[in-house]
Amino acid sequence: MRNKYFSVCRISFIQELAYRSKFVVERLQSVLQIFLIFFLWDSVFSDPSREVFGYDRAKILTYVFGLLIVKAIVASTKASDVSGIISSGELTNYLLKPVGFVKYWFFRDISARGIHTAFAMVEVVILFVILRPPFFLQTNLVSLAGFLVLIVMAVIIFFLMLTLVSFIPFWLVEQTWPPIFLFLSVSEVLSGAVFPLDVFPYAIQKVLYLLPFPYLIFMPIQVYLGKVVGMELGRSLLTAGLWMVGLMIAVNWVWQRGLIHYRAEGR
Amino acid sequence: MKTLKKYGKVWWIMSRNALSGAIYSKLSFLIFLLGKVVRFNFFVLFLFYLVKGTGSLAGYDINQTIFIFLTFNVIDIVGQFLFREVYRFKPLILGGDFDLILVRPTSSLFRGLMGGADFIDLFTIPILFIVLYFVGMNFHPQIGDVMLYILLLVNGLMITAAFHIFILGLYVRFLELDYVLWLYRDLLNLGKLPVGVYKQPLRDILVYLIPVATMITVPARAMMGFVSFWGVIVSILIGIVGILVSMRFWKYSLKYYTSASS
Repeated sequence: MRNKYFSVCRISFIQELAYRSKFVVERLQSVLQIFLIFFLWDSVFSDPSREVFGYDRAKILTYVFGLLIVKAIVASTKASDVSGIISSGELTNYLLKPVGFVKYWFFRDISARGIHTAFAMVEVVILFVILRPPFFLQTNLVSLAGFLVLIVMAVIIFFLMLTLVSFIPFWLVEQTWPPIFLFLSVSEVLSGAVFPLDVFPYAIQKVLYLLPFPYLIFMPIQVYLGKVVGMELGRSLLTAGLWMVGLMIAVNWVWQRGLIHYRAEGR
Repeated sequence: MKTLKKYGKVWWIMSRNALSGAIYSKLSFLIFLLGKVVRFNFFVLFLFYLVKGTGSLAGYDINQTIFIFLTFNVIDIVGQFLFREVYRFKPLILGGDFDLILVRPTSSLFRGLMGGADFIDLFTIPILFIVLYFVGMNFHPQIGDVMLYILLLVNGLMITAAFHIFILGLYVRFLELDYVLWLYRDLLNLGKLPVGVYKQPLRDILVYLIPVATMITVPARAMMGFVSFWGVIVSILIGIVGILVSMRFWKYSLKYYTSASS
């Protein structure tokens, strides 16, 4: 059983590195996106003593660098391919294999996450040497542990949400990419991947924190920065945990219903 | 004039066909539109709260920062509306179907560049121009500033065209390299913010090498009445040189087309 999914990981690792130029470009795109955010905040905090939205220069630039790594860990997933597989009828091949379909995709992603994270770390070191930003080093063990737990939850939540959206072609066969495009557009903004969510007024933030998106990127980095501690940290872990469990149930439920509707169109 | 009329007619026919394809699935059309609107609105909201909280961004106030972002959107969205066919061009080269375009009595470059507009953007462009008008009016511009803004915006679209022609040339010459298009999009995204935000040498790269600033910040500054005479001249020169060089590269690339797989 363990060996089976380990093989999935291994094959996925080879596949990931087979298209090297594509991979390099994906990484280059991530760096360019970080450039925009880095220089934006670098400009805002050109006065080192300035404090805005509860951030000082070191914390906001650590947020930017944290984005690169957390995004690589959380968002490097191939689960969006699931919609095309259902739509084309290719799912039939997977159903004949002795693997759990959702589990198969989760383990496939581990390789992608590993490679992207390793490269993101190298990029952070290079950018750090070039840009020489001040860096906030968290030493509190509770915050570091909270950060790691939230990262694991974020990986699972993002995977489950994307998988859920990718199940839409069970009912609407032609809807493969558009729902994923909409989901990625919304999640990119509401997860804090473009800007920290505490830029918004408190009333908007309160509503956003009820959604699963802030627990993907924004909240883990907040915990690392020590901006979310004590009861607030506990509340964040609980909310993320509830979303995780809820999404697990939803994915399982929709998968079972989807299979009833599945007609292997295109095969 | 006759040639222009002919190409206008060809563009209309191809765009009509592209529209039929796009609205075949109305739900997809609406979802894509919604995705674009969501991203646009959130970024405007972010800029609004950011500059409200900080007072200014690289010396620009809320209106000016949002105006630069809107100008970026004009260049980006109108560019995508006009040159969408570039995104669909690679399979023609890989499959050898480009032969069928070469034998037609129309320019192959025109077909590759403007062979079908993206009608999702046709819905967003009018709204964008209305918002642009109202934000721009806050600067109380003179008629000369508005004319200069339009001229530099057209110049920005010329540079966009030059980039797309260059990418088409890369497809023909090297068969692959489709990711250059995505890199171009990411570089263009740097124009969402005033170029003054970026430090050297990136700022000079964005002004001269990959002239994102010339395409976006310079026109926006013209509307605010901040642009110098030489700034306008250099921008227009970059536009003209960009088009000439890209056209030359296209002709050079065509010599290497091998009609593979056909």
